[in-house]
Amino acid sequence: MFRTALVRAQALVKPAARNVATSSRLLSKESTETDEQFDQRYEKFFSQQDIDGWDIRRGITDLWGHDLVPEPKILAAALQACRRVNDLALAVRILEAVKDKCGKREAEIYPWVIQELRPTLTQLGISTPEELGIHKPELHTPSVFDL
Amino acid sequence: MANTLLALSCKQLLNNAIVRPGAAPMSSYVKTLIGKREVVGYGFNGEPNYVDRVDFPLPAIRWKEPNADILALREKEKGDWKLLSVEEKKALYRASFRQTFAEFKAPTGEWKGTIGVTLVLISCALWVIYGLKAFVYPPLPSSFSPENRAAQLRRILDLQINPIQGISSKWDYEKDDWKK
Repeated sequence: MFRTALVRAQALVKPAARNVATSSRLLSKESTETDEQFDQRYEKFFSQQDIDGWDIRRGITDLWGHDLVPEPKILAAALQACRRVNDLALAVRILEAVKDKCGKREAEIYPWVIQELRPTLTQLGISTPEELGIHKPELHTPSVFDL
Repeated sequence: MANTLLALSCKQLLNNAIVRPGAAPMSSYVKTLIGKREVVGYGFNGEPNYVDRVDFPLPAIRWKEPNADILALREKEKGDWKLLSVEEKKALYRASFRQTFAEFKAPTGEWKGTIGVTLVLISCALWVIYGLKAFVYPPLPSSFSPENRAAQLRRILDLQINPIQGISSKWDYEKDDWKK
């Protein structure tokens, strides 16, 4: 009860405008957002022209909290955003993370995602983890717990 | 003297209470930990630390401190990425991240050692039980011998113990044998 009151009070104090990627409703109702709206919201978020590296990371982290493999169009927008902030490593890392996000169905989903992303990858000159040869362990680094 | 001190400390408290916009939130202690590594994101808990995790793939700081090579690559990175060689792309990746997904998800093989040590401990425990049986415990009472147990069973049947659903219900008293 006290917590509810606190949350409400906080909501009153906070400014009304919230950022797109983290907007959540302080209601007990389930979200009524459709899948298309969800995809659009993230695509729009990553398509912001003045996005910075911090926000790309925040958007990806938010997106990764959902139980889904992001649509290729969201990922394409994210890769374009990486291009705008000149961070190639981030783009490669996102591709790796997508591969992991496919889970057990990696063999079905990941090649399709790469196929859909191919135009963007070619346009920006991003290499997939496979092309870089980092899809297999390359270096052995001992665990920090064994040092 | 006391008044001056009081005034000074009050002033200090007031100064501390005012949050300056744009002031660096990072304490100097954390700075000593991460050195010159660039803070690039929120990470997984808002601390400027580096952990390779599948659920939070983008750590808060870059892995390597910028040096001349990396800075030169960063300059080149601002241009067309198609002009970068595979080695340069990898170097950029390694400057930002410590291990690739394939590396930090690789099995460590630790389970083998764990199972080995567990089996060694279990076999030690079996020898302990064997030793206790051989040297510590007295022999089992005579009621454990097969003849005595057969006699017990016979007595249970004679007393018709548990005749509805239990053992005596399965005994045919007319044929003096188990029911088929």
